Amino acid sequence: MKQFKSIFTAIAMAGATFSSVAIAQDGGASLTIAFTGIQTTEGAVMGAVFNSEEAYNGKGAPVRQIMVKADKTEVATQLDGLAPGTYAIKLFHDIDGDMKMTTNPFGMPIEPFAFSNNAPGNMGPAKWADAAFEVKAGANSHSITIQ
Amino acid sequence: MTIDLTRRAFLGTSLLAGAAIITPDMALAGAAPAGWTLGVADVDADIAQETLTLISGRAPEGLLTTLYRNGPAKFRRAGGEAGHWFDGDGLVRKWRVQDGKATLAARFVDTPKRRLETRLDAIVQPGFGTAVRPGAVVTSPDDTNAANTSVLVKGDELWALWEAGSPAILDPESLETRGFKTFRRDLKAMPFLAHPRIEPDGTVWNLGGGGKATVVWKLNPDGSLAKAEVVKLDRNSYFHDFTATARHLVIVLQPWVAEGQKFPVSTSMAWKPELGTQVVVIDKDDLTRQRVFELPAFSFFHLGDGWEEKDGTIRFDGCLEADPTFGQRSASALLRGEHIKGPSPIMTQVILRPNGKAEMKSAGFSAEFPTSDKRVAGVARRFTTHVANYRQTPFPHAIANWDWEKGRDDKFDFGDHQLVEEFLFVAKGEGERNGWLIGTTLNLKERRSELHLIDARRVSDGPIASWRASLPLPLTFHGTVA
Repeated sequence: MKQFKSIFTAIAMAGATFSSVAIAQDGGASLTIAFTGIQTTEGAVMGAVFNSEEAYNGKGAPVRQIMVKADKTEVATQLDGLAPGTYAIKLFHDIDGDMKMTTNPFGMPIEPFAFSNNAPGNMGPAKWADAAFEVKAGANSHSITIQ
Repeated sequence: MTIDLTRRAFLGTSLLAGAAIITPDMALAGAAPAGWTLGVADVDADIAQETLTLISGRAPEGLLTTLYRNGPAKFRRAGGEAGHWFDGDGLVRKWRVQDGKATLAARFVDTPKRRLETRLDAIVQPGFGTAVRPGAVVTSPDDTNAANTSVLVKGDELWALWEAGSPAILDPESLETRGFKTFRRDLKAMPFLAHPRIEPDGTVWNLGGGGKATVVWKLNPDGSLAKAEVVKLDRNSYFHDFTATARHLVIVLQPWVAEGQKFPVSTSMAWKPELGTQVVVIDKDDLTRQRVFELPAFSFFHLGDGWEEKDGTIRFDGCLEADPTFGQRSASALLRGEHIKGPSPIMTQVILRPNGKAEMKSAGFSAEFPTSDKRVAGVARRFTTHVANYRQTPFPHAIANWDWEKGRDDKFDFGDHQLVEEFLFVAKGEGERNGWLIGTTLNLKERRSELHLIDARRVSDGPIASWRASLPLPLTFHGTVA
């Protein structure tokens, strides 16, 4: 089940490349994302937002990174200035605050993770086709349950 | 009345008829299914506590003992079936002898796998010999945990053990599932074999995960974590069991090795007898201190407790097979009502000499489910209890105590109509074998499960007390006495 590793590898990579990514401010869309189902109200929800299947599958950088304090069972964030289009999100709940998806010694994730559309990960991250959703011009909202 | 033999109708009728059903495929195949298929039949619901019928003898005065047993009991659903005996949902049975009476209750372990498959009415989760099917959800090893292999009581918890995931925690009285056991946060979902080795004081040693790295677990007698360390191994061997002496862990690396990772797990492993079998001996106090012994190739599922002699010679026994046909093919065929005869497991003692040489001493008969007096776990012992007399069926008909010193088997054959499960030792007084053997059988003639108590010093005399349940339960793998 090494495929699990790719879930957090992608998110870790998102963090590594974050500083070098010029955030697109040319879009006229905003996206409010609610994170629900938080069981341990500690640490932060960490996520990466992708606008292409290629980037989502690890061959490119995310367009945004998310870091929201997970101090309640439901928290939210808003992303402004997005270009309308198709997006997908990978995220995990960084309970211990080490900015990494913590794994057990065999590489299995031990912190909760989720994908947009609540698409199920199945022996690896959820597929782009299952996690992708549309962001239109103006205000958009999306809700993800973290389990 | 006409009988509609469509699958759906058959299942419906069976549900009304009782807890156990025969696979519809077999009923439709036309051939009369062999009687032993009752041993791998399905159970559809938990079994409320019942008082058993005493059929012979009587319980020893004052005896209070609980035999917990675990085994797969749900293999078939309308939308797909398990591909292997090892992949059915675990049904934990609580057999209790108290005040001269015996009772039985049984409850399925409430796993994510069982919940999902109940909802879909299909077997979809992958396993040892079951393919991944549409609808499967696997985000953690415990999503595929069948919790069906053994049980262990620690503190106020009863653990249902599997081998590739966490123990499931059950209430020892109600058998209600409380969730999976996490020994420490960073060890969540680490595998924990169904064959822990327990020192006489209750200290638990276990391994987790075959392959090139395994985790060595040490638990305190109360079940709390003492240590967990990852140990590297030289080969990607499959092991279901290991053994230990008072000072050492003994890991047997058969040449049944994983080549990549895929489902079903059994299809990812190849039998490579040219590699021989290796035995790795690891110092319990310093896991980096290891010695490796070489033996001719054999396959195995089960070993007995080991011990060490004054000169450092290590001895342990096991039920060793010439190759893994049983795990690869026969155990899948059982669910189809077919008996593929592979090499028999042979009772064998393995001797590891201080000079680095290893040898094997065959007792010369087929046997399985080796157990012994847990008061002498890790130190020299003389007797091994085992099932025997398979004859022309895939399951044994006898229970026996093998005497390694005298080379003698003290055996009782229950007859062709009885399938015999693992028996465990219940201590009475000082001295190895001073006590009873408690175990269960499936009576094919009566179509009922039975509980038996045998004087461990007089096995061939047969049970001193036998009780019968009101229904048949499929065969179990392993149990524990509490």
